[in-house]
Amino acid sequence: MTHTPQPLLQVRDLRVRVGERTVLQSVSLDVPSGALVVLMGANGSGKSTLGMALAGHPSYQVDGGQALLGGQDLLPLPAHERARAGLFVSFQSPPDVPGVKNNLFLRTALNAVHEARGQPPLDAFDFLAGARQTAKELGLPEALLGRPVNEGFSGGERKRNELLQLALLQPRLALLDEIDSGMDVDGVRAVVALVQRLRAQGTAFIVVSHYLTMIEQLQPDAVLRLDQGRIAETGGVELARRIARTGFARQAETAEA
Amino acid sequence: MDSAQADIRAAREHLDAQGWIARRSEAFHHLPPPALPDWLAAHDDAPPLDEPGWTLKQGASSVQARWLDAHDPAQRAELLAGLPRPGAAGEGEAAPFAWAHRGLCREGLRLHVAATPQREPVCLQLHHQPRARAEAPLLVLDVAPGAHCVLIETHEADTDRPTVAQNLHAHIRLGQGARLQHLRIAAPQPGDRVAHHLHVQLAAGADYAQALVATGSGYHLQRSHITLQGAGASARQAALLLLGGGQIDQQTYTDLQAVQCASQVETLALAQGRAHAVANAHTRIAPGCDGASVRQRLAGVPLAGHPRLILRPHLEILHDDVQAAHGATWGALPEDALFYARQRGLDEAAARALVIEGMAHALLERCLGPGDGLLAQWLQGGWLARAIAGQLQPREEIHHG
Repeated sequence: MTHTPQPLLQVRDLRVRVGERTVLQSVSLDVPSGALVVLMGANGSGKSTLGMALAGHPSYQVDGGQALLGGQDLLPLPAHERARAGLFVSFQSPPDVPGVKNNLFLRTALNAVHEARGQPPLDAFDFLAGARQTAKELGLPEALLGRPVNEGFSGGERKRNELLQLALLQPRLALLDEIDSGMDVDGVRAVVALVQRLRAQGTAFIVVSHYLTMIEQLQPDAVLRLDQGRIAETGGVELARRIARTGFARQAETAEA
Repeated sequence: MDSAQADIRAAREHLDAQGWIARRSEAFHHLPPPALPDWLAAHDDAPPLDEPGWTLKQGASSVQARWLDAHDPAQRAELLAGLPRPGAAGEGEAAPFAWAHRGLCREGLRLHVAATPQREPVCLQLHHQPRARAEAPLLVLDVAPGAHCVLIETHEADTDRPTVAQNLHAHIRLGQGARLQHLRIAAPQPGDRVAHHLHVQLAAGADYAQALVATGSGYHLQRSHITLQGAGASARQAALLLLGGGQIDQQTYTDLQAVQCASQVETLALAQGRAHAVANAHTRIAPGCDGASVRQRLAGVPLAGHPRLILRPHLEILHDDVQAAHGATWGALPEDALFYARQRGLDEAAARALVIEGMAHALLERCLGPGDGLLAQWLQGGWLARAIAGQLQPREEIHHG
């Protein structure tokens, strides 16, 4: 994680509450531009909470700490400004948006981000040509562009749809929350290919995953283990291999010893 | 006095004798209509009709259209031919509106849509422009057996005109196996008093889908009475009520009278400020209607301020072998979809507009079917987005308690 002297994302002592329960006790991490960090942890350890808190979900109350993206403090910003600043969070369970055609949703989002970057908006024709090509590369049936967002999509199609948004929006930092769940082998290959392409362009990644095969293919710069709302362990891909062999319970015992 | 004048006088005498809609009326007690003089005011000195209120855009040879002057005895007879007398069309407590209509009606349009050889849809665009401060337009539409018609009927506010009181009646009759997809837009000016009454009759195997988009005004009644007379007839009605203010009273009465009939009624009321919306769905299944199926789904979403949303689903089932479901829900916009859109870069207002427009499209498509042709063209034309933006701009948060 030494691509640039100044990390793109700097999180310091982040403390997050959901309702009455403090889920993240104190999380600190750095992610440089173009780097890829894998975040692992048992169910309930706070992985998704980190993504939602960074994204600005109103149910996730930040009680302390700091999160800088490119030096800009994310936490005071409303959700859409965090997205426009370059943060993309793929949802573990992407919701339906009834009645809103996928291509309209994508184009509206893309043009909102373009406007924030001072780029001209895309007309429907130009957008559709690019969206169709990208969907094809990701194995997403073109027909899904004309259907309401995620409505009636399979689990794998929803995840591919997240990848389509990621590919078109080209954020500075993407947090992918279990993007591989529900994906078939070709889908996982598409994830790896897209991540590699975007990394080469400078996009940084935090990837939440439980599956060693994909983690190894992603060639992460770092693997972090989250436990009880804290980063309990930091390592390379060998840490992921160890977790895959022994499980999270064993890892926690080792750390305590 | 000619027969037209005699008919008009008889209607007015009937109203004088029977009176207007009672304040205690069950159907109208949430939003009582303005008094009778409002609906008759301009008759005695009504100017001649320089141009008709109804305009029709169509190019199909299978459509016959006749604009008729209701003050001319012969034309009045042709205009009213085959229509039930006021009070005899199941109007119930709304019968005084039917009498007031007979007492004021100045013009009407009769349309007949014949079946085409390949049964391809006949597409019509019908617009009505108010021509008097108080008026009672009439539309009679006959869709011949086996014909398929797509009709877009618009009543949009023209800000240059004075406010009106409009008591409009439409009689729609579908022959055996006929199909009508009917998109209705009723967007009056804020000060208008509007009452639209649709009387729809379906023969065996006929299929009627009515999607209504309506906005609030000083008084706005949208009342449909749909009678499924023949076996296997089916009717769907969806109403999208957009209220930034004003009021609307939507009443749907569906009467299933034959075996294997099906009816669906769905309303989505989106309101804010001090708007007041009432949605009534009353479905009756007559004795002997084996295999009838009915569904009512009414939903109200208060967006901001203190809107009043009253949802009244009602089923009257007089037979055993039927399927029926109904429900009314009050809720909020889907928070997960709103946040999803915001995480993709849309600001709060844009995310809200997108989600609302999506809900509106989904409702209309459930009724009219997947969009193609004229309907899709209209829906994609931007009117709905503009209406949502105009009616439902973000304002203050909802206050509870």
